Parts: sequence; structure tokens; C-alpha cells
Amino acid sequence: MSNRQLDLERLLAFRSRDTLRQALRQAASPILPHIQRLTDHAAGLAPAMRELRLGVVHSYTSELLDPWLGLAGALEGLDVETYHAPYGLNLAEADAKSGLVAHSPDITLMLLRREDLHPDLARPVVGLRPGEQAKLAAQAHDRLLAIVTAFRAQNIGHLVVTILPEQAGPALGVYDPQSERSEAAWWSALKADIGRRLRAGIEASLFLDLDEVLAQIGREAFFDNRLWYSVRFPFAAAAAREVSRRVVGLGAALKFPKAKVIVLDADNTLWGGIIGEDGIDGIALGHEYPGNAYMAFQRRLLDFQQRGFILALCSKNNPADVDQVLNEHPHQILKPEQFASIRVNWEPKTDNLAALAEELNLGLDSFIFVDDSDHECALVRRELPEVEVIQTPARPVEVPFCLDQVSRLELLSLTAEDQKKTEMYAQERIRRQLRQNAERSGSLEAYLASLEMVMTVGIDDPAPLKRLAQLTQKTNQFNLTTRRYDEPHMRRLIDASNWMVGYFSLNDVFGESGIVGLALFDLSEPAVAELDTFLMSCRVIGRKAESAFINVLLKRLAASGVREVLADYLPTPKNALVTSFLPDHGFAVGADGRFRRDLAATPPLPDGAYPIAIEVSAKSPAIEIGALV
Amino acid sequence: MDLFRKLQQVIATTLKVAPDKITRETSDQDLVAWDSLAHVNLMMSLEQSFDLFLEVEDFSRLTSVPAILEYLKGEGRT
Repeated sequence: MSNRQLDLERLLAFRSRDTLRQALRQAASPILPHIQRLTDHAAGLAPAMRELRLGVVHSYTSELLDPWLGLAGALEGLDVETYHAPYGLNLAEADAKSGLVAHSPDITLMLLRREDLHPDLARPVVGLRPGEQAKLAAQAHDRLLAIVTAFRAQNIGHLVVTILPEQAGPALGVYDPQSERSEAAWWSALKADIGRRLRAGIEASLFLDLDEVLAQIGREAFFDNRLWYSVRFPFAAAAAREVSRRVVGLGAALKFPKAKVIVLDADNTLWGGIIGEDGIDGIALGHEYPGNAYMAFQRRLLDFQQRGFILALCSKNNPADVDQVLNEHPHQILKPEQFASIRVNWEPKTDNLAALAEELNLGLDSFIFVDDSDHECALVRRELPEVEVIQTPARPVEVPFCLDQVSRLELLSLTAEDQKKTEMYAQERIRRQLRQNAERSGSLEAYLASLEMVMTVGIDDPAPLKRLAQLTQKTNQFNLTTRRYDEPHMRRLIDASNWMVGYFSLNDVFGESGIVGLALFDLSEPAVAELDTFLMSCRVIGRKAESAFINVLLKRLAASGVREVLADYLPTPKNALVTSFLPDHGFAVGADGRFRRDLAATPPLPDGAYPIAIEVSAKSPAIEIGALV
Repeated sequence: MDLFRKLQQVIATTLKVAPDKITRETSDQDLVAWDSLAHVNLMMSLEQSFDLFLEVEDFSRLTSVPAILEYLKGEGRT
């Protein structure tokens, strides 16, 4: 008893949420009386908590998750307001007048059991012949889709679908994987189908695989049989804690500024030891302990790149020393081209982070800073509070997993652009270099022409829906009005006949940019177009893409009878970049503060006005993951 | 701290009521906050605070302070 008391007092002394989260990761699940104290403590830390509204639709008891949801929330800086729908999978909640919709959730969590998908799932699946198994899978799949579709039609935020794992192992025990009627195989195939359907057809949805949680904490630690058989609540403390952490983590990914870049220290983060002191043969990076743990961490970072996060290196060292490891060490996995930027010098890390933000055109609030040093971590926390700081564990065996529970590194959607991020940043470094050369020799136009840019413009095409919504959520700097749209809302705008949704991607001799610009016009008034949104990724600044884009859209509007375009510039702390965009493009500000362009008086420019070839398609081909090679 | 005071604190924290609402006679009928879900939470809290293992059968018996005190004494807790 006194041992636990001591741990609690130690935890209550932490002054920042990220250090508290890291400390709690190592600790066993707190006992119930302590959860409230930890929650209150975390809630009181800076910065002030934001609200996360959660709706829960459930076919088993869910209210007992509340203390865990509260704790997980407070640790992330989120005040979780939860609405539990009346018990039972009740489609009545999928109604505009329901309590669920009235609650206005940011996330709706569906806690379902296999039996909800089909009554026959209460009996062994292995008892069915293969044909019957296939039929059962199809019916279960359809039933789940019907449920999900009914809820998705309402305004209930991001839909997170879960299915409770089985409490008992497979009916056939250890033989199951080899059986023709393998239950595990049947169930995996069904989950894959569900994942496919959600990705392709249900906007703003995520299948949260509880089998993954089961794998993480183990079946015996997951289920509490006494609670299940007495009040139909399945989760033991470890499971309640982990499920809550994952759900609240999705809330953090939704509510906080998107993370975009992981800034890594080198010594005792990418390898063991200090290159400046131990030399290239003395650092630990290889197949023996502890070098193998650091290799595993480098390998894990490749996974984060696949999620669309870019890596940067920031180290206090002689550049030649770090270069040597990156280029010559036989076990170095992360090569120079995998970093969007490399800053090795003796300047303060805070200065380097600020310089990185400028170089990469990203806000510091999208940075995750990883460093082993107490001093560096404390300095960044104090001087740059918007940067999330993860201290590399002192124990090498813990290093490979140190980023695995960072909520903002989880994804709610993945587009082809995300997976190509690193490559795109590498290409951008080359362009930047060429451009600097061109500017120095005074031939910017020649530089732009040499890029042989081709802009592909899509109009009212729903195919890249996820990317378009993502652009409105992530783009802060080159954004006239900073309006955020989720996928369902974006879909409505694309489908509406009185809205024009235009986007573009830009290809040049170096590569493809992916979709990087979006414009939304409200055409409700006759002969008038109102520019609701105009944004562009900073990646393609400096190539006149924004001018070419707005020009081609205005041409299209003029051709369909629009006489006047109305627009606004809504200043924010981040979008000073576009202060003169509207005046620079023929818009004049009126007494009411709004900008107007008369398309008859200042008509759009002809083709060839910009060094970019433009292709407009009313229905662009769908961009799928893997299509950008 | 005597056994009752310790129990009083555990119940008060778990049910989120003021400690003085928990007397040596209090039962689940006396407090609105002591509903069926809160009762389950309380059983878990008792286990953790007093290092016990409760059977499901015990859940329905331990619905008042006197019953819980008797149980605790029977398990040798002080």
C-alpha cells in the first residue's frame, strides 16, 4: 500500500502533461481512488484544457469507462464530455432529434459485439461449411455497413467503430490456423472487408481494432470476468485504460494542430553514445546490444514516414562527424535524403527549431521534438511551449517504442500525398537550390520556365475528398479565410450545384506535388461568385501557381456568366503571407472591408500569361494510394 | 486511521460525495450517487484499497457500510 502511495505523490509532482504521460506509461494502471487525483492534477496544468465531446453507442455497459476517459483526456489536455446512448444498439439514436446528435460529438464511439453483426455469431463459426461461412461474412458485413451508414448520415463527428474481441480463444484451440474453416482466418477477412468499405465509402470513419489492444495487453489482462458476468462491462483496468487512451488520442489528433515533423537529436537518440567523443567505431549502432535498440528505433521512424510525417535532424555536433555516420556507417538506416532538413551546429536548439520552422514553412505547433537530454528538453518546453517534447528514454530497450503512444502521430486518414511527403521535401530542397542560383544570376523567369510546370485542375470532383478536407484542416499560412471543413461537409459542397470546388496539383521536371491547392466559390447569387476559401500548400510557393490557379478559375466563372467576384481576407496570426494576395490579383477593397473584382473591367488573363501549362478536367481521375510513383 | 474512517474515505472518493455523508449506518438506499454502476466501481475500489479479492457473490452482499465493515474485519483488515 505504501508503495503505491509513494508513486502517486511522485506523479502528482510532475508539472507538464507530456512528462506525466511518459511517466504513467511505465506505471501499472492506477487504482480507481487515484484516477480522480491524477485527473484533477493533469487538468490543472498548462495550457488550459480544450473540450472533447464524445458520444458512445454501445451494446454492452460503457459508463464504467468514464474515469479512464477522464484521465486519458486530462493527460492530453482535453476535457472529455461524454454522452452514453441508452443501452443497446439502438438505431433510434441515428436520428436528427436524438440525444446523440443533440450532444454534438466530435467523436462517436461504437462499442459493438460480434453478435450484433449476426445472431449466428453466437455459435461456432467453424461449425459452418465454407459456403455458409462466406454467406455469414457477407451478411455480417452488410449489417455493420447498414448500422454505420445510418449513423454516418447524422452530424455526430468522426465515427470510430469497434467490435469486442472474443473472450475465449478459437473454438478449435491451437489447431485453428490449419483448419479449412479457421475462425481466425474468417474473422481477419471480415475485418479487412470492413476496413476497405470504410475507407472507400464511409467518410470520417475509423475501424479501431480492439484485437490490436488485445494483442498489446494480453487476453487475460483485457477481460474482467467478474464485471462482465455481473454488469456486462468487459474491460479490466488495463483494457479500460488502453481503449480510453486510444479513443482520446484520436480526439487529440482531431483537436490539436496537426503534427507534421519529427525533429530528432542524434547522440543517444539515433545511436548510442556521442559521435564527437566515441568516434564512428565507438558509437552503438549495430546488431549487438545496445546498438540494435537504436537500429530498431531508426527502423520504426521509417514507419512514421509512411504515415506522412517528415523527419528533421537537429544535433549539437561538428557537421563532419554526423555526416560521416549518416553516409558511411554500415548500420545507419536513415540516410541524409530521408531528412527534410539537417541542422548540425553548436547553436541553441531553440534557435535551430525556429529556423527549421521557417525553412520548412511549418508552424512550431506541428513539431515533435525528440532528444535524450534533460536540459535540452526542459529548455524547449520552457521557451517553445507549442512544440511537443518527447525525451528519449535512458534505457536503450525502451527507445524503439518511445513514439508509439504519441497521440498526434496517429492518423485518421491517409492519402497518397501523405506517403510521399519525404520524397516531396527532398525534391523541394533541389528546387530551392536551383531557385537561389536563378535569383542570384537574375533569371527567375528562366528558372520557372525550366521547371516545365503542368498544373492539373479538378472541378467538383469527389475523388480526392479526403485530401481536400485535410487541406482545409492543415493549411494555415497560405489561406485567405482559414475555414475548416470535415469530409462530410466538403462532400456536400462538391455535390451542391451552387458551389464550385476547384483544386490543383502541380507537376514539374522534378516530380509531382500531389494536390496542393483548393478554392471554394459560393454561386448562390446570380452573376456573383463569392470566394469562400482559397488556400495553397506552402510547398509550391514562389512558382506563380496561385496566380495561374485563380486565373483559370475566374476564366471558367466568367465563361458561365459571373460578372463580379466577392472575396475576403480574414487575418490570423499565421496568414500574413496572403495579406496582398487579393489586391495583387485585381481585387479592390470596398468601404465594407470586402474585396471585389469586376470580371468585365478586369478580365482574366489568357493562357500563356504564366509559365505553367494548365489542364482542366471536370472529372479528374481518382488518386489512389500507390498511384503516385 | 481506524477502519471506518478509511472506508469512509474510499466510499466518498469513489462516489464523489462529501465524507460526512457516509455514516456507520449508510447503505446504498441512502445515497442517490450509490447506484448500480457506482456500486461496481466501489467494489473495485475496495479491492484495490484493502488488498482484497471479491467474488461476484460478494458484490450483492456488500451494499452497506455495516456489511462492508463486517466483511473487512472478517478478512483481518484493520
